[in-house]
Amino acid sequence: MINRALLPAGGEENMLHCTDITVLERQRACIKWQQEQQQQQQQVQLQQQEISYFTELTGVFQQAGFHEGGLNEVVTRSVKPDPGLVDNRWNNDHLVGFGVGPPYNNGPGFELNYGSISRTSSCPPPVVAAVAAATVKGSESVVSDKISSGVGREISKKRKVDDKQNNSKVDAEEDTRDKRIKGCAEEGESKITEKNNNKNRRNNNTNKNNNSNKESSAGNSKDNSKVTEVQKPDYIHVRARRGQATDSHSLAERVRREKISERMKYLQDLVPGCNKITGKAGMLDEIINYVQSLQRQVEFLSMKIATVNPRLDFNVDNLFAREQAFPACSVNFPTIGMSSDMTNPAYLQFNPAQQQLVTCCGLDMGIDPPDMGLKRTTSSPESIPETFLDSSCFTQAHPPPAWDADLQNLYNVAFDQGRQTSFPTQPFTGKIKLSCLFYLHFINLINP
Amino acid sequence: MTSKHVRATRHTKFIKNRFASRFLRSHLRMKRSDRFGGSQSNEGVRKRSTHRIKIAAYASMALAVGPSRTWSRALLFKLRNRARLQGVLRKRCLVSKKNKKKRVVRNKVIISREPSRTDTLRKLVPGGDSMDICCLLEETAHYIKCLATQVKVMQTIADQLLL
Repeated sequence: MINRALLPAGGEENMLHCTDITVLERQRACIKWQQEQQQQQQQVQLQQQEISYFTELTGVFQQAGFHEGGLNEVVTRSVKPDPGLVDNRWNNDHLVGFGVGPPYNNGPGFELNYGSISRTSSCPPPVVAAVAAATVKGSESVVSDKISSGVGREISKKRKVDDKQNNSKVDAEEDTRDKRIKGCAEEGESKITEKNNNKNRRNNNTNKNNNSNKESSAGNSKDNSKVTEVQKPDYIHVRARRGQATDSHSLAERVRREKISERMKYLQDLVPGCNKITGKAGMLDEIINYVQSLQRQVEFLSMKIATVNPRLDFNVDNLFAREQAFPACSVNFPTIGMSSDMTNPAYLQFNPAQQQLVTCCGLDMGIDPPDMGLKRTTSSPESIPETFLDSSCFTQAHPPPAWDADLQNLYNVAFDQGRQTSFPTQPFTGKIKLSCLFYLHFINLINP
Repeated sequence: MTSKHVRATRHTKFIKNRFASRFLRSHLRMKRSDRFGGSQSNEGVRKRSTHRIKIAAYASMALAVGPSRTWSRALLFKLRNRARLQGVLRKRCLVSKKNKKKRVVRNKVIISREPSRTDTLRKLVPGGDSMDICCLLEETAHYIKCLATQVKVMQTIADQLLL
């Protein structure tokens, strides 16, 4: 086909080279044909886009899937000049749009490079004037679409839409052409032999000069007119290496495989201990294990949180009740200090605990004469003043080692209780059984 | 590149914070509703509360991620329709005892081959049944990331509670 000529051939070439050269070619074509300014503008835009396309590529990948963490790697990978990688990614994004077309076998003679087609085709709105007029509009919209939308799968959809529009304008005959182009696009990614290129170049020139698409070999000429719609900077450049199959199915399959392996690599970085494993099956196993373990962990943690619940009650309630509870505290606590239950043996039994509790009460109350008296009755009055003044003594004070965990619990709970005006009885059904006696006494103390 | 990386990490942080706040809030709500319903800590109650917390964790994770992801959408859908589905299932079990035999036979025919690794992964990732392999791997990556964050956050919460 005509446009093939513009491709500088050779499977090993970089994408960048291809784009540059094709751009130049297009410019020449423009000069030749002296087209309208609109089209030239379009081309300029296209060129810019093509130039900037590689920079945009990274953005594409971000959109395509990997939003987070591993992005760095993805980006670096995409920046690599390696033609295979870049091409394949391109394919990833845009092949979707082409799958719709009916399977079309170009045969060896018709292998196209898709990118070159679209680019070259953009310049010459072929002599078929009506078609040109129709397609120009289409192409304009296409360009605007390109500019506005981020590159990606969306574009392929838009392309479809555009194609549809154009098709409506043009005959049904072109419909078939369009489909063919799609088919070509799939196939066009294959490598082109130099022989073909030369041929195509020749064909291209003749076609352009004659301005009659039908003169050249039937299928190719038809493609040319329709190609105008497909001029987008996001082409699929997949090339088969030497000896690889070039029909659409195997190409698509190869693209798919590349995609999968790319995702696998990403997952490999994500899953710990997956680096050493080679082979897809082993990695999948590892991934499955990891996901399962994470889910199990979530279950376990939720169980843990559920068991801890009773105390969360206090904490959470305290967070919200603190403000309104504070004034009430000062009302409640004096009654504690005044209460005559101090001589209770159970109370005295937990002497250190009592002392701390008292200090805490005092902390909330401020200096209160009866409370001071209470403290004096306790065994260690000399330690009181420091803790008394320190506002954070409650959290910082280290309980004596003799205390068991339950008592400590109780201590917290009791303190929380003290700060609330209302005293729900059910929180006391925690694990605290040992120090029940003390607890009851404390309740008695608090409740007037 | 670096800016993108930063953005990505910020994104994860954002998700983490949102998840934590949502989870704590739902937990608090649960506690509130629980407190007046009586809180004897026997086995059944504990199991049920565990289940509820787990569901709350998953739901808040999915909500934090938002509907942009397939797995979170599927998860939200599943959780939303949980009650309804359970009701339907129960009804089916009650109503259609006659059809059981046929269904079992049909199932046997369908599930003749052994489930591959991909199928296992599909079962693990919510909404994975309807994805092709590429999508599945992508979603798996994101899901793993979110699960890891979830586990981390829940771990810290549990530790805080145990203090």
